[in-house]
Amino acid sequence: MKWKKIGKIFDPTYYELPNNCKEFAQSPQVLVFDNFIRVYFSTRERDQTGKYLSHIAFADFDKQFNVIRVSNKPVIELGRLGCFDEHGIFPLNVLRAKGEIFGYIGGWNRRVSVSVDGSIGLALSHDAGLTFQRIGDGPILSSSLNEPFLVGDPFVKVYEGVFHMWYIFGTTWKMYSDGAPPDRIYKIGHAVSQDGIEWEKHEDGRRIVSDKLNDNESQALPTEIKIGRRHHILFCFRESSDFRKNKSRGYKIGHAYSDDLLNWTRDDVNAGIDVTEGAWDSDMLCYPHLFEMDGEVYLMYNGNEFGRFGFGLAKLDR
Amino acid sequence: MFKWKKLGRIFNPLEVKDKPWLKEFAQAPATLVFDNFVRVYFSCRPERDASGQYVSYTGYVDLSRHNLLKVVGLSEKPIMELGGLGTFDEFGTYPTSVVRNGKETIAYYGGWTRCESVPYNVAIGMAISRDDGVSFTKQGSGPVLSFSVDEPMTVSGPKIRRFNNQWYMWYVAGNKWRLADGRPESIFKIRMATSIDGVSWKKMNVNLIESVLEEDECQASPDVIFFQNKYHMFFSYKYSSNFRNTDRGYRIGYASSDELIHWVRDDSKAGIDISSGDEWDNQSIAYPHVFELDGKIYMMYLGNEVGRFGFGLAVLEDYSI
Repeated sequence: MKWKKIGKIFDPTYYELPNNCKEFAQSPQVLVFDNFIRVYFSTRERDQTGKYLSHIAFADFDKQFNVIRVSNKPVIELGRLGCFDEHGIFPLNVLRAKGEIFGYIGGWNRRVSVSVDGSIGLALSHDAGLTFQRIGDGPILSSSLNEPFLVGDPFVKVYEGVFHMWYIFGTTWKMYSDGAPPDRIYKIGHAVSQDGIEWEKHEDGRRIVSDKLNDNESQALPTEIKIGRRHHILFCFRESSDFRKNKSRGYKIGHAYSDDLLNWTRDDVNAGIDVTEGAWDSDMLCYPHLFEMDGEVYLMYNGNEFGRFGFGLAKLDR
Repeated sequence: MFKWKKLGRIFNPLEVKDKPWLKEFAQAPATLVFDNFVRVYFSCRPERDASGQYVSYTGYVDLSRHNLLKVVGLSEKPIMELGGLGTFDEFGTYPTSVVRNGKETIAYYGGWTRCESVPYNVAIGMAISRDDGVSFTKQGSGPVLSFSVDEPMTVSGPKIRRFNNQWYMWYVAGNKWRLADGRPESIFKIRMATSIDGVSWKKMNVNLIESVLEEDECQASPDVIFFQNKYHMFFSYKYSSNFRNTDRGYRIGYASSDELIHWVRDDSKAGIDISSGDEWDNQSIAYPHVFELDGKIYMMYLGNEVGRFGFGLAVLEDYSI
């Protein structure tokens, strides 16, 4: 793949967002309408303890990617006390299927010995994506024998009537240096469903994408598209410690392809996108999202500081 | 109607010396029968940690098969370690239920983690022993039964049984945390799942037992036995708030079923209650475990403060439909 960067298209600090959110527009997720596109993203509020809560908001763009509207009320409430998504939703992966608008929730909740855990939930929209309501308080995909924690980052597509989900699961929490909070390692998994509600992990604990850096590589936010007969996933990957400020260890975009949705070949050379010196995405590329519109393939993604100052767009150069 | 005769307390953790991991509590007894002894698994705790909180281990005590009031052995160490950093069972393995499967013994247990907004969360783990139940190896670092749409939290209290070539797990699932005087209290109900291999489980996704005290009645320890052509479930239940050291604490309830799915609750048939006077079980009675041994039916149960002072034994004296 080869991408032509169009540039940053949304900066959250220019807008008034619901839930007291000031910064961050992370993990853009697209729902295409006839005359515009709606881009859901995760933005942040600080709570009384000084910690962040991630909320979902959206921005609507015309088809030349100018902002025409920003959500003025919450798209989905955070989960109830003690639920999997009590402290944040990141991302909300949205798609139309079987006459419904599905919103897959990457839900986060806080722990004591480590910072967080996560599971994947489901909400539906009955007002064209303005708001979403959960089908229940609990998750549709959660931890299991070989996927012990941090099940998140859902991305769902329907092929030949079967729902496919690419997601991540945690494998390890590790203390890399004395006194530092534990950091996590996560890998990409795959699950299938007939109805989008009842999911089966294709193989509990199977990592579908091989490591490139080392065992400690963290892989996040897979996104998938079929071009011709070949399936491609893009994702972001990094070292699992000292990755926040050290550019050489931070997020970059990885790529893998498959012709059968089972076996994936890692092929980062053909990710086709890298950082741009001096630009908003000079240090880091993360949280990719692939979508099609009017016959073209696009990629949205975050740049420096994990999307604190918004997201950008690239177009597939065919 | 069941009529139980209490035989007295059979294990008091406060009398155990020199086992730092077994200082307080002996909760949720579960039996495994051997030729000459009955192994009783229970969960116990070291002293509170630096943050003032408990962890929970599972150990066992062996009783003479010919005299269940006589202790003949005690586990040297916990039957399994706590989980690693960030795992579901990092802070506790309680309760544990065991079943034989050929030469193996399989344990299902509640694994405890600590949360920020609520005190804890629980999911069910699985471990296998190949040394007659002395030590168990976890089947993964994650749970075998976890959270789902209708079971959002505190999936705990497994009781494993096999009937008619099928595996059955009765357990409890939380449906919410309710704030009582600013303190979150878990509300949990009895649920059931089935499996053909003990690994892959299908949840029934219904509350099995109607609530009688209040909508938020908490139900625990659903222990099922087949006896005289019927399935009998003994469980414990309590009010959702203000239940510590009052008459709102645990009592033992009863339900029956012909086919393991539909259960008719009738606590008046349970036939066992708190003791009077200054007995160890004069305030509450909880976590029944019912088993058959050498032609008799027995019940083990916890007394006051949910096992802080150990567990006791009762024998079935009389049963009539």
